[in-house]
Amino acid sequence: MHTSVTRRDFLRFAGGTAAVAAGLGLIPGLRNNRLLPAQITAAEAAERGPDLYFAGTDGWIYLPPDPPIGQGPVYFPDDLAPNPFNTYIFGFRDITGLDQTQIAKQRMKAQHSAPLFWVNQYNGSNEFRMQLTNLGLQMRPDLTDSHTLHWHGFRNVIPYFDGEPTGSVSVPVGRNFTYVFRPRDPGTYMYHCHVEDVEHVHMGMTGPVFVRPLQNGNTSLYGSGKYVYNDGNGSTGYDREFAMFLSEVWAEAHWCDSHIQLPDWSDYRADFSLLNGRVYPDTLAPNAPIDAAASINSLAVLRNGDGELQTNPNYAHLQYQPLSSLVTCRQGERVLLRFVNLGFREASMTLAGFPMRIVGRDATLMRGSDGSDTSYETDTILIGAGESFDAIFTAPAFSGGSGSSGQGYDTYVLYNRRLTQVANLAAGGFGGQRTEIHVYPNGALAAQKYPNDWGV
Amino acid sequence: MRNSLFKRMRQGISALVVISALAAGGLTAPLPAAAQAGPRIGIVCTTGGVNPTFSMEARDGHIVLGDGNTMYMWGYALAGQPFQHPGPVLCVNAGDTVTVVLRNNLPEDISMIFPGQDNVLANGATAQPQIANDGTVTSLTNTAAPGASVSYTFVATNPGTYIYESGTNPEKQVRMGLFGALIVRPVSHADWAYDRANTQYTPEEEFLVLLSEIDPYQHMAAEQGQPYDLTKYHPTYWLINGRTFPDSIADNFAAWLPTQPYGALARIHPYDPTSHPHPGMARYINVGTEDYPFHPHGNNGLVIARDGRLLEGAGGEDQSFEKFAINIGPSQTWDVLFKWYDAEGYSETNPVPVTEPDIANLTHGMFYSGSPYLGKLGPLPPGISTLNQCGEYYIISHNHALFQLDAWGMTMAGQITYVRVDPPLPNNCQ
Repeated sequence: MHTSVTRRDFLRFAGGTAAVAAGLGLIPGLRNNRLLPAQITAAEAAERGPDLYFAGTDGWIYLPPDPPIGQGPVYFPDDLAPNPFNTYIFGFRDITGLDQTQIAKQRMKAQHSAPLFWVNQYNGSNEFRMQLTNLGLQMRPDLTDSHTLHWHGFRNVIPYFDGEPTGSVSVPVGRNFTYVFRPRDPGTYMYHCHVEDVEHVHMGMTGPVFVRPLQNGNTSLYGSGKYVYNDGNGSTGYDREFAMFLSEVWAEAHWCDSHIQLPDWSDYRADFSLLNGRVYPDTLAPNAPIDAAASINSLAVLRNGDGELQTNPNYAHLQYQPLSSLVTCRQGERVLLRFVNLGFREASMTLAGFPMRIVGRDATLMRGSDGSDTSYETDTILIGAGESFDAIFTAPAFSGGSGSSGQGYDTYVLYNRRLTQVANLAAGGFGGQRTEIHVYPNGALAAQKYPNDWGV
Repeated sequence: MRNSLFKRMRQGISALVVISALAAGGLTAPLPAAAQAGPRIGIVCTTGGVNPTFSMEARDGHIVLGDGNTMYMWGYALAGQPFQHPGPVLCVNAGDTVTVVLRNNLPEDISMIFPGQDNVLANGATAQPQIANDGTVTSLTNTAAPGASVSYTFVATNPGTYIYESGTNPEKQVRMGLFGALIVRPVSHADWAYDRANTQYTPEEEFLVLLSEIDPYQHMAAEQGQPYDLTKYHPTYWLINGRTFPDSIADNFAAWLPTQPYGALARIHPYDPTSHPHPGMARYINVGTEDYPFHPHGNNGLVIARDGRLLEGAGGEDQSFEKFAINIGPSQTWDVLFKWYDAEGYSETNPVPVTEPDIANLTHGMFYSGSPYLGKLGPLPPGISTLNQCGEYYIISHNHALFQLDAWGMTMAGQITYVRVDPPLPNNCQ
């Protein structure tokens, strides 16, 4: 916001500093006066444990710090952020397999986008159990917000498992709740906390989730045996898949949450537009180190003995933004891009150089009730808030030699054609929701071990 | 961030109880006949028989908004009736010759256009854009000067959901509230949305979702007769059927909303192949300035038509499609069939496959019954109240551009409504 200091800004600046000083002295509060010990009943002991265990908490991420945003209060970079971070978030973490001591250490270690997870379509016995806990908001001990996990788009779920807190239950600080899902409809979905959803969604408690079809494993329709839907004809078969999760950061709102202030959400603007939790050029940086063997239902980032996310050398600033957006493939391969938008603005994702075919939308195969094919080719996908699109492209022929990049591959660009969302507020140049597609010759790259895997 | 939502809801419920008591005692203040008619929940149709003539007036008034603010508005009302927002929902049958006689009680020229209707006549002649001597278009159609009237006539040829709105200075007059919904029903079947069997719906489960927005400074300028710079346009309120949440889920004609007669709560029963086989129907309309990505929880909707045109191919192919986000562009209408059922059939005898945490270890929402099961009420922690009546489910439906859930700084006071799923009949619901 390069405008003059308003009265509201001034009060925020003066009040925020004092409030933070006071707030840090508070003891983390709990919502209910009665804290019941978590007693394990016989019935509970007989239950199968969760497939995944997630925690909601706060944390810090990195966005390009120049130029600063805001006059009077400088909303960005956040003056309270620990180096090398600069943006306060709420978020989820995958704490599956951690012990209680390790879990406690993940407070204020949220990541964005939220952990990517996937589930096999329900076959009559493989129900999916997702346990959620709430580690509190360490920067905001005054805020005792509950959290939920709302699986956006899941059909015919009862309110108890929907995570919409007004018609249901939510998870207070220090408590646990297990959601049980029997996903009957394959496709690309999203999940987010639905408590105070304007705030919790915007602050980063958002991520993608896939349901894999029963048809998977059938190699007679497509050689890889990997499909987006139960298409019956291989039309949604693919060789590699990449999540393309879109979100946004309004610097003022993030600053307000770390400084015990409230934004006026009707003033919303997207200062940064993120792809898989990062902005270009960080979108091209590698995935965090992934434990492929542990990535059964989620993209399991390697953790140290304290349960902390591991990161690559020279990428410490992306410790809590583990997901790369770089697409790598061989010529002729079919590549699935799963687009999800949980920002508040429409995105117009454009692939320059060759078309994509839209095979699914909102976790629904593009097919009429009479079986007619309604998929279509395009180079630009307009994605509204809360929509998902499944796009498959066939990688074009490799140009030969060392490729158009000079590095052994051809480079194509995928970016948001709403150019204000590929700017990072800097004077010119690209940023925001922009990434690249690298097309390699035959024989290059290993098979993909997990979504967004580069295979290098 | 907690707000006073529960308090506001309770005020609403209290007012409802008071009104019910008054009604029972026959003490209700007489409301105009036209505004009284209609169901508590669902679309309130204003009808006029075969080949109807609707006598209407444009006038000003005020509405109340989710942050407690009041807003100066312009609106279409039935002749002789008080201001209302939005305009009356005009329901006609396909093939009707529809006439609207519009009298102008506002201080500037106004008009009415009917997007999606062909061959509209104004005062008996083909309606025409109004062009000034210098060549500028001053109105998209014939106008009525202050104190004067204009008459429009058209044949409502195609079934569907449509808008009527001002064609004069629409950037001001539509924003000020000169808009309403027009529903054209097929002649073949009263409970079909279109002349196609798979558009059949449950008539008691037909709902309007008319989405709009307000920039308070534009309205203040109009109220004070001051100029307004449209380049500064910045809406801060987002409304459903002319109301903000939680007023949006109050009954039609809620007494504390005297100028905002239309609620947006959808009240349904779960799908059942024998006792409740047909879906509900939601008619979405966007009269705002940008796309509203509307997200109904619970189940995908089946989009059967847009802009009053059935989605079918030249050979009658069904081109309807499922969506979980209904991304409606300005001036678009989307017709969506929807239903809900518990895919797992959970009940006390088929319980959720997880031990329910102790009630002290959960936060309970104000619509939650205390039980995961439809039709059941369960225990709630001490000091926690619920607005749940009979174990019904509440499934939210909201704009997913979430900052548009705001009312000028107050969160959870914008484009939010709910689908209320009642237990199968017989039940104890009121």
